[in-house]
Amino acid sequence: MGDTSAASTLTPAIDQQRREAYFTASQGQLIWTRFKKQKSAMAGALVLAALIFSGFFSPFLTPYDPTIAGRDKSYQNGAPQIPKLWDENGFSARPFIYSYERTRSIKTNFRWVTTIRRDKRRYLTFLPEGDKYRFLGMTFRRHLFGVDRGKMHLFGTDSTGKDIFSRNFHAINTSMAVGTIGVLIAFVMALIIGGVSGFYGGWIDSVLQMITDTIRTVPAIPLFMALAAFIPDVWSAEMRFFFISTILGLIGWPTLARRVRTHLLTERHQEYVLAAQLCGATPGHIIRRHLLPSFTSYIIVDLVISFPYMVLSETALSFIGLGLKDPVNSLGVMLQNVTDADVLLNYQWYFIPVIFFIALVLAFVFVGDGLRDAADPYAGAGK
Amino acid sequence: MSAPLIATRKLSVHYPLRGGIIGQRPIVRAVDSVSISVPKGSFFGLVGESGSGKTTFGRALLRAAPISAGDVVYDDGEVRYEVGRIQAKELKSYRTRAQMIFQDPYAALSPRMTVRDIIAEPLEVMGLTESREQTDLQVREIAAKCRLNLEHLRRFPHAFSGGQRQRISIARTLVARPRFVVADEAVAALDVSIQADVLNLLQALQQELGLTYLFISHDLSVVAHICDHVAVMYLGQVMESAPTRELFAAPRHPYTKALMSAIPSLDPDRRDRAQKLEGEIPSPTDPPSGCKFHTRCPVATEQCRREEPRLTRAGEDHEVACLRWEELFEPTPGGLPAHRPPPEIRGVREAGNT
Amino acid sequence: MSFSLEAGEVMGLVGESGSGKSVSARSLMKLNAKNAVYGADTKITLHLDDGPVDVMALETARDMKIVRGGAISMIFQEPMASFAPAITIGSQMVEQLQIHTDMTRKKAREVSIAMLDRVGISDPAKRFTQYAFELSGGMRQRAMIAMALSTRPKLLIADEPTTALDVTIQAQVLDLMKDLVAEFGMGIIFITHDLGVIAQIADTVAVMYLGRLVEQGPVREVIRNPVHPYTKGLLAALPQLDDLDAELVPVAGDIPSPLERPAGCVFHTRCGVAIDGVCQRVVPLFTQLSDDHRVSCHRASEQQVVV
Repeated sequence: MGDTSAASTLTPAIDQQRREAYFTASQGQLIWTRFKKQKSAMAGALVLAALIFSGFFSPFLTPYDPTIAGRDKSYQNGAPQIPKLWDENGFSARPFIYSYERTRSIKTNFRWVTTIRRDKRRYLTFLPEGDKYRFLGMTFRRHLFGVDRGKMHLFGTDSTGKDIFSRNFHAINTSMAVGTIGVLIAFVMALIIGGVSGFYGGWIDSVLQMITDTIRTVPAIPLFMALAAFIPDVWSAEMRFFFISTILGLIGWPTLARRVRTHLLTERHQEYVLAAQLCGATPGHIIRRHLLPSFTSYIIVDLVISFPYMVLSETALSFIGLGLKDPVNSLGVMLQNVTDADVLLNYQWYFIPVIFFIALVLAFVFVGDGLRDAADPYAGAGK
Repeated sequence: MSAPLIATRKLSVHYPLRGGIIGQRPIVRAVDSVSISVPKGSFFGLVGESGSGKTTFGRALLRAAPISAGDVVYDDGEVRYEVGRIQAKELKSYRTRAQMIFQDPYAALSPRMTVRDIIAEPLEVMGLTESREQTDLQVREIAAKCRLNLEHLRRFPHAFSGGQRQRISIARTLVARPRFVVADEAVAALDVSIQADVLNLLQALQQELGLTYLFISHDLSVVAHICDHVAVMYLGQVMESAPTRELFAAPRHPYTKALMSAIPSLDPDRRDRAQKLEGEIPSPTDPPSGCKFHTRCPVATEQCRREEPRLTRAGEDHEVACLRWEELFEPTPGGLPAHRPPPEIRGVREAGNT
Repeated sequence: MSFSLEAGEVMGLVGESGSGKSVSARSLMKLNAKNAVYGADTKITLHLDDGPVDVMALETARDMKIVRGGAISMIFQEPMASFAPAITIGSQMVEQLQIHTDMTRKKAREVSIAMLDRVGISDPAKRFTQYAFELSGGMRQRAMIAMALSTRPKLLIADEPTTALDVTIQAQVLDLMKDLVAEFGMGIIFITHDLGVIAQIADTVAVMYLGRLVEQGPVREVIRNPVHPYTKGLLAALPQLDDLDAELVPVAGDIPSPLERPAGCVFHTRCGVAIDGVCQRVVPLFTQLSDDHRVSCHRASEQQVVV
């Protein structure tokens, strides 16, 4: 039998337990165990989790409204303000920043100039009440932190005074949301089309493959340019948001569909499928119980890896103005303002969101690679 | 012999191929007008090399291959089905009575299902049990008969060796208590020792559960030991069919004789080259005219090229498809004696039992 | 594991899956995976016409060239694995010859076609230009033999060459190999799990279990008078046409995974006659039963060897 306790009289019970665990581990457990062993993948997963968490809870974590409503008129194009604990005026247990005022006078040629008042401090407060926001359908006012007077800008502000810190995390949220919707739509379509194609084969497969290839050859940028021209102005920002996400999903499914199809084409000839058919199992049952679980691991990997592509596509489109627009706030929209030479030379803090963006994409890629490496060995373990 | 449990009458399975010259589509005659009767309770062997159509035949009996002509009649005393024609409800009932064991133990088990789920699946799909407890009970019963214990049920297939997987496969096939089982090269992929183990298991299960087997194999020695009746196929047709002892004691058909002499004997001194076949098996898309075997037959005549032989009676329960079988038949067998092995070989047998 | 092979001798290497027979054979050409670790006192010596070659000492691919394909050739179970699918058989045979000898293309072509003819392939000139998939299984196997023998190797390693063939084709190929041994005088290591094939083609047989040689000797002796319990078990489990009434007796238990090799005698977990306290702990040494028949078993001395 497979009982190895008879084989070697010196095998400890712990070994037997571990072996048993390996024999009975479900696919998910096996993948997780293998995934945990890869350091880069785990690091990526941590970063990813942190970013998603911060994006999801962004209205609470950030002090101000990211739209024009929350702007700080008196601190435009302002540099980032780092809270301090100590300066020439003494030590303070509470972190503080300096006040700033905007004045205009003949001395400044009637241009608005912001001056920093080092004597006046603004202290950091925790869980203050601030701008209203909606979260999970309910309205709240409490934010994680703020200052007792005025506003604080950890990442600085842009030309209209909007807080970049708040915008940054809201943008992550938006980009993730667009990516999720896009990936979900692509995934569902790929499963259906690729599944039918692969399972039935024959002329159904040929026809569906032609459709798939056609969609795959559609170039993204001209498509979006055409669509952008057609979007009526009356559409709200949210509608525009869903529209862009849907379109991204609709042109993203072919690659995934092809993977599903290939896998099904090979697996449906396996004898275990025939065994199920000989019991009278319906195609639905076979797909659900036999075929789908065998490529769940591939699907998950594909999903995770296609996420950054969605995010990148959305960012690129918004950047060139074909995607989302103000007030819906995404990384691409934030980057629209970056092309100014003035910004490049003087207001470098506009680029801080780029760091987050790169971190997000890299985290996805590491996690995706790790998952793929973790998932592959399982397929070969049977032979 | 008891009444046939399953009998075919001129069963044919033809696959039209794609392409070919306009107006002429090549057809693969995988199974060509085969009539076989499998008696109830028998262990019926079906032997042939590649291209013989034996696997296709087995599948056709279960409607896993399309039946192009002829019919298959299943009659177990309770129901009588013409398998080629039945639909829906009757087909469902038939499936609870006729099942298959596959060759490759690695491809026959769904890799992401636990053993318990794999064995339980026929019960669940065919709706044969009413509760999970009942299913579990039946699963455990059949697993115990196949020497699988409770621990094994919780594991996944990748934890098992080839022989164990085949036992799981057998358990799955038998969990719904079919009457008729097609074993398609069930032991071909196994090592010699495991093979013996599985064959003994199949025999024991036959006694316990009252099964009828159609045992498809390319290995004549295995078939000789375990089957009570053997049919030899070549290029989609039956060449000879007889009770095992008789077939091996005195084969009538030149192909059967050649098959038997081609088997490497354990006796190093028996290196006779009699009846070794030349040439290759013809392609099934372009079978020879007349007797399909004539291109390789050492005693073929001009008549064999022109005329296709029919299965004729050569003894009680013994049929041959050869135009010359009577003139070629020698009272002293061209095959191997079944009851009095030479003393040297007997020595091996005795020394072999520890 | 130690053995030696004479020129013109056919040695059968028998064992079930997991017995290590393929790995041993590949070691002769160092064809195992990169993470294979050879034991410290592993020594493989090839006695060629111009002196002995220590295979373990060969490092670079250039040095290995002498051994691989030149002095030693290998044929496999699946002929499709040996022939590249997109190149004609002829080109591959010619390439083989040009690597190992200094023949011109023209000469190589002649030699290859002659070899194809020698192995019984009809219309060899035409087959020379065909692709592997155009040939049937038996013919592919013959072509593989032709390719392997065209360099006149001293040793041919045949790894389950007939397992995938129909029994009538197998008989043809075995006859062919016997003729070739008589003509070319090379040694063959014939790896298989089929004892019947061994009985027909081999001069000596070596039985392996879990990586160890358990019995070795002339084929008549080992098959008629097996000494090791495993050999006896294998023979008892074999269905034989000579005695249809005999029961098939499987060897008890399952083969342990190579990761959990039993201590002492590797076979003791399945042995019906294991000696308590001895077989579990002590690895049996080889007992020489006769001139060339030896066994690795603690009970070997008790056996009466009937000649």
